[in-house]
Amino acid sequence: MKILIVEDEPALRTSLVDHLQRDGYRCEQAATYAQAHEKIKLYRYDCVLVDLTLPGGNGLDLVRTLKADQSPAGVLIVSARGALDDKVTGLALGADDYLTKPFHLAELTARIQAILRRRQFQGHNELRFRALTVRPDRAQVLVGDEPVPLTRKEYELLLYFLANPNRLLTKESIAEHLWGDAADTADSFDFIYNHLKNLRRKLQEKGAPDYIRTVYGVGYELSSE
Amino acid sequence: MKLLATTTRYYLLLAALLFAAGTAALYAGLVWALRSEMEEKLVTEQGYLTPILQRTGRLPLPLGDQRVLSRRPRPAGFDDTLEFDPVGRRWEPFRQLHFPVQVKGVTYWVTLRKSLLENDSPLGVVLSVMAAVLVGLLLSLAALNRWLSGRLWQPFHQTLAALRGYELQRQPAALALPATPIDEFTELNQALTQMSERLAAEYRSLKEFTENAAHETQTPLAILQAKLERLLQLGARDAEMAPLLRDAYGATLRLSRLHQGLTLLSKIENGQFPDAVALNLADVVTEKLALLEELVSGKELALTYDAADPLPVRMHPALAESLVVNLLQNALKHNHVGGTLSVLLRAGILEIRNSGPAPTGDPARYFERFQKQQPGSASPGLGLSIVQQVCRHYSFGLRYTFEAATGLHVLHVSTRPAAATA
Repeated sequence: MKILIVEDEPALRTSLVDHLQRDGYRCEQAATYAQAHEKIKLYRYDCVLVDLTLPGGNGLDLVRTLKADQSPAGVLIVSARGALDDKVTGLALGADDYLTKPFHLAELTARIQAILRRRQFQGHNELRFRALTVRPDRAQVLVGDEPVPLTRKEYELLLYFLANPNRLLTKESIAEHLWGDAADTADSFDFIYNHLKNLRRKLQEKGAPDYIRTVYGVGYELSSE
Repeated sequence: MKLLATTTRYYLLLAALLFAAGTAALYAGLVWALRSEMEEKLVTEQGYLTPILQRTGRLPLPLGDQRVLSRRPRPAGFDDTLEFDPVGRRWEPFRQLHFPVQVKGVTYWVTLRKSLLENDSPLGVVLSVMAAVLVGLLLSLAALNRWLSGRLWQPFHQTLAALRGYELQRQPAALALPATPIDEFTELNQALTQMSERLAAEYRSLKEFTENAAHETQTPLAILQAKLERLLQLGARDAEMAPLLRDAYGATLRLSRLHQGLTLLSKIENGQFPDAVALNLADVVTEKLALLEELVSGKELALTYDAADPLPVRMHPALAESLVVNLLQNALKHNHVGGTLSVLLRAGILEIRNSGPAPTGDPARYFERFQKQQPGSASPGLGLSIVQQVCRHYSFGLRYTFEAATGLHVLHVSTRPAAATA
């Protein structure tokens, strides 16, 4: 899987590259509009991560170029918080998803995975993790062959973990994944705890071992060991 | 008191005084003139009667005036007297002239009288004309006053209305004041326009500064967050590093949330959400309630949601979401376990009621930025400010009340103004 990261801020770019490489993607980078434009014209990518404010041009024009070329690449727009009209414009231009800065890296992984899944398998694929099987097109979770009935939030939570195996997910990032901007409520961490408790219980009832580790005070991790 | 009324009052007072003095002087003058006239007549009569008396020894009978012949000496000259009028049965004032006449060596005293009543009618006419003029002047001044205040002061009232409607946040442009033919008002309008231009310029530069600051803060924040997340992956299990990283990470997220809130506020203030579409608030509320479902049930809140016949409102979709989320969050945050939360949606009304601890402090300040019920709270305290700003942007009514009887906090949003203009 090849991803192009278009981001002008070097420190942020290296973080993104580093993170996505850990996820197993091949990453290329572009720091300016011109560089990015050249790369999307020359090479094929599975996914393009576009920052909208770029030296030398607007990221939205890159999206237009990609769509005009009928590129199969998924497009994830990254932009400033509060620039809500960019979101509308970006999605209308055909971008797959939109992420506002600053974001959690785990969230980025989850979004890219969802885009790639939709693009490449039209959603008809399965996610496997040890004894777990998830069929995203049917929102179905199996332990072995047995379906596990999950609530919507529990299911979203599990998908988030599966997108980031062996990675510490902070409580804040989980809260934001589940509740978006509305996560700003003091008790949301308690609810994560409750959801996780229920999720673990339901999985264990079907015979799956507890894959989720608690990292004290910080968050949780889905462990493959 | 109105300026014109005050000046008119002084004018009227002066006019009344002058009229009073003038009338008094005129009265005295007239009385004096009439009396001299009468005295002249008496003297003429004296000159005419004296030879007749000396020749005949008798006075001719008077026609209307009284003539008396007596041998009793009197002081010669004019004086006033009252005589009884048997016809009118009343005392009437007379002017009389006494003078001696020598008739064949005997001195006779002649008294000639003329009634002063004849003078009264011209005096009455003069005085009533004066009074009529005074009343006419008063009335016409009052009418002029009304007319002037309606017409001459019109530019002043326009200026006043423009000033009342002037809101830097809304139209950071200069005041547009109409031209007036009156120099004073022109000067006033010029001064005000210049002042508003200065204000607008300063406001703009302050706003630009805030925007730039907000924009420039964003990238470092994103870098900080990304690096801290990486550090957390590495050090979260290290007993010494974990608490440090956790706190730094938490603080960064708080800062970024604060930044997000402030950016949103300044964007609303700048009117950067011009694209309003007709949308149904009921849909937004339903969606957000579903999102916050666990938070509601987790607090064991009794939720009632009643949406009947809501009119579509014209809003930017993002602001509608922001409004609803912040209202709901506020109702969740300041609630207690097992409390109530009710959302009522009617045509032009969105009302959220929630149980919670009785309010402390001035409720008007709840809408100010950084107002928190719990000072230690990690939330930036911008929720209700955002609600207020959104309402202001769309001219919605926003009211907070605490119903002491039921212990419910009520936030009432009236979307009528927007519905009316839609």
